Amino acid sequence: MLFISTASWSQNAKEISTKALDVTDIDAMEMTSTLTIMDTKGHERIRKTSTASKKFGETTKIITKFTSPADVKGTGLLVYDYENKNDDMWIYLPAIRKVRRIISSEKGKSFMGSEFSNADMSKPNLDDYTYKILGTEEFNGILCWKIESAPMNDDLAYDNGFSKKIALIDKNSYFTYKVTYYDLNDELYKEMIISDYKEVCDGKYLARNMEMDNLQNGRKSILTIDKLQNGSNLSENNFTPAALEK
Amino acid sequence: MKYEHFIIKYRWWFIIVPIIITVLAAIPLAKTKVNPDLEKYLPENTPAMLAKAKIDSLFGNSDPVILIFETTDVLNTETLTRLKNLSRAFHKANEFDGVISLYDTKSIKGAYGAMVVDPVIKRIPKTEIQREQLRKEIRQNELAYKLVVSEDFSKTVIILKVASGITDEQVVHTIKRTLHEFPGSETVYKGGTVYLRVQVNSDISRDMLILMPLGMLIMILFLLLSFREWKSVALPFLVVAMSIVISLGFFPLMGWELSIITILAPIMMIAIANNYGVHFIARYQELNAANPQWSMKEITKNVLYHLKKPVIITGLTTIAGILGLVVHILLPAKQLGIAASLGIAFALLLSISFIPAMMATMKKGKALKSLTQEKAGIIEKGLSRLAKLSTNRPIVILFVFGSFLLLAGAGIVHLQVDSNSENFLPSKHPFRQATSIVNEDFGGTKYLTVLFEGDMKDPKLLQRLDHYETELKKNPSVGSVMSIASILKIMSRAINDKGDEFYDKIPDTREAVAQYIELYSMSGEPEDFDDLVNFDYTQALLIVQFRADSKNALDNVIDEIDRLTVDDPNRSIIGGYCLVDKELAEAVVHGQYNSLLFAILIIALLLVLIFRSFVSGLLGSLPLLFTVITLFGTMGWLGIKLDIGTAMLSSIAIGIGVDYTIHFFWRYRYELGSGKSHEEAIATTLTTTGRGITINAFSVMLGFVILFVSSFLTIKYFAFLIIFSVLLCLLCALILIPALCLLIKPKFLEKKP
Repeated sequence: MLFISTASWSQNAKEISTKALDVTDIDAMEMTSTLTIMDTKGHERIRKTSTASKKFGETTKIITKFTSPADVKGTGLLVYDYENKNDDMWIYLPAIRKVRRIISSEKGKSFMGSEFSNADMSKPNLDDYTYKILGTEEFNGILCWKIESAPMNDDLAYDNGFSKKIALIDKNSYFTYKVTYYDLNDELYKEMIISDYKEVCDGKYLARNMEMDNLQNGRKSILTIDKLQNGSNLSENNFTPAALEK
Repeated sequence: MKYEHFIIKYRWWFIIVPIIITVLAAIPLAKTKVNPDLEKYLPENTPAMLAKAKIDSLFGNSDPVILIFETTDVLNTETLTRLKNLSRAFHKANEFDGVISLYDTKSIKGAYGAMVVDPVIKRIPKTEIQREQLRKEIRQNELAYKLVVSEDFSKTVIILKVASGITDEQVVHTIKRTLHEFPGSETVYKGGTVYLRVQVNSDISRDMLILMPLGMLIMILFLLLSFREWKSVALPFLVVAMSIVISLGFFPLMGWELSIITILAPIMMIAIANNYGVHFIARYQELNAANPQWSMKEITKNVLYHLKKPVIITGLTTIAGILGLVVHILLPAKQLGIAASLGIAFALLLSISFIPAMMATMKKGKALKSLTQEKAGIIEKGLSRLAKLSTNRPIVILFVFGSFLLLAGAGIVHLQVDSNSENFLPSKHPFRQATSIVNEDFGGTKYLTVLFEGDMKDPKLLQRLDHYETELKKNPSVGSVMSIASILKIMSRAINDKGDEFYDKIPDTREAVAQYIELYSMSGEPEDFDDLVNFDYTQALLIVQFRADSKNALDNVIDEIDRLTVDDPNRSIIGGYCLVDKELAEAVVHGQYNSLLFAILIIALLLVLIFRSFVSGLLGSLPLLFTVITLFGTMGWLGIKLDIGTAMLSSIAIGIGVDYTIHFFWRYRYELGSGKSHEEAIATTLTTTGRGITINAFSVMLGFVILFVSSFLTIKYFAFLIIFSVLLCLLCALILIPALCLLIKPKFLEKKP
């Protein structure tokens, strides 16, 4: 009896996580955003980008162009986010007029030198994790599921750079408001606050603000979406390495 | 004779009060702390300390721990598994901010149109082919080859950057526990200043425990051999023991910590504090032999009457000589000067109160046969011969001493300064083995960092950095040079194809630099360059790793860096632990000159005042000058370098050495005053007071012999040099000064005291 109930809870936890992902899974959009990276002494590095993303079959293709600061303006980034294998990434460096691939298997690696990891920026492979409902908790007066997900094995944990994460997911809307990461030593590591959810199209939402605090080194990164447009007129031809140079 | 009556009348007070004071001073001893941190030797506001502090505050602790793993081939599965486990465990440990191993060092390369940034080892090779492929890749990786893996793959390192606020003990404990948790067959060597400090710390404690009782034992044996009665041994010994307690008790009382320098305080007490007691006993035995009918109280009064003045004077001059250390730039040297002076002052007070008070309460012993001229002892025979020698051939003696002075003194030009703190440990010590491995296989144990400030994405500045790197790498002492420029160059090879205009070059526009870095930030870790450049690219380091076991080799690298970068408008400061070391070396020489000058001047002045004659000042300083010049010259000839330990020498040698001359003068003047000729006065002085001087000198020399068992090379040299200089002082007092007195017949010695 006990075994069955545990199993069904576990099923629920994964379902909740899947729903939380689905609610922000948007087929196509264009946006401009600002990534602010701060060190402990209050120095800031600000990156402004414009991004278009569109789903072609099972693959989401994302093209990003840097608009500021001046020295990296025109740098382009192309990502093919596959469902079940490592992403493909290309970067275009205008200063030397070259497109280069980026090979990175480690999801735990930093995203553009920020406190966000590449894993935070792309859709996770749900089967890589085990899920557990820890209970419920209120976040800013909203009742949330408290879901723990942990990488299946040590190697995955090492690749992802954390031993577990605990997410607070709205019981009604399935918005994720807060994710707490624990390092490989099981100590509190990072805390992400996600806010300002706006509807993009029917039933699909996107948070306009993500804030990641590294509690261990004191650094902080903020990603803000400045402008957002549902859908994109770009064709698949615009999501190729060759198109990056334009 | 008022003072003498007073002491004898209130003798119990003069016995009990000092004992109570000693017991009280012993209480804080339990709180004694040892701190071997070599940086503590320098004031915090010196240029090297400030530079190091600034660079440390910007780029973190620059003082890593290095673990070396040695086996036949480090790429074997067992070793790689162990390294992986250890690297992960060290990453988890809070004690460390950074870990560099084969699993953390980056491999940046171009492949299939991509820049790939990976750890050197991603997967442990399963087949021989994979292993050889990995070996080939490592050979091509300039961030790993000969820096993390030795040329022949027999050794690899894990370099740990210690987090701030972590104590040496925590570091050592965590490493020990982790190595134990993941055992293996590799030989592990541990290096880095943390281990140097811990090693020095434990060895200091060991030396304290072993050397102090040993020194006392030797002293007791020698005194027993010379005086042949227990109470004559007990009195000087008690004075030594009590003054040790006073000088050591002063450290916790003042909140001071013991260091490699201040450990010498008790050793100095053993050597010096018996000085006064020995003269009291020698005189008591002399009077007892000459006047068998006298009571113990009469003898005591007489001894005290004759000796209180010379003992006070020798005590004061010794204190003056040792206080010369107070003007030393190194803090522990100042502390040693103060604590040792205090101990000696206490010993001096005990000698003119406690010793006579004790003597007055004791039973009289039998007169020594060697003193009643029934059967002369070795010392007495030797002294009679010396007296004949100096009275018969004063010119020859002058000539011999003069030639020796010139010959030995010429060695001063070869005298070198050494402040490589690694040399404190013997060459077979595991720490020194680790050091020599790092020097031979991993680019060297020394680091210099040059801080550049400005726009660190400016291609002109980066090209200059690249130029400095190329030039410095030509220096045979330099093992590696690293800066953000080398990383950009590696990236340029990964991003561009061979033959491309951008290949193996610092990009020539600021945009390209920024975009290389942006590209890297997509593939590597943001903290990968934290050691080389700051967050907003306004400050960067050029890190030069090199080998230098002498000050000359160090100067050579510093000069080259300076020559290359002096005109660079963006160069800010040069820092590094070895600069602190160098500063220490210079402080040692500087401190040496000051202490020496101060001590000689004060002593000469005291002599002039006491004997009311300028000649006495000159004559009295002559043995000191002779000793100091000969000593430094001999050091030059023998290749013994001036370092922290040997630096303390001159003041101490002077403090001890002047005593002999004063005791000689005093007795000589007394004998002349009682109507003897110069020749007779010299003969009597040498066989009476000369006996005390000789016994004292030998007990000092033997007391210092125990330092030869110290594990610190510098302390061994120190022992040799102290023994050598005491011997020189003794020879001066027993041979040179008598010969000179006979030739000059100085007026101040003919005056009645």
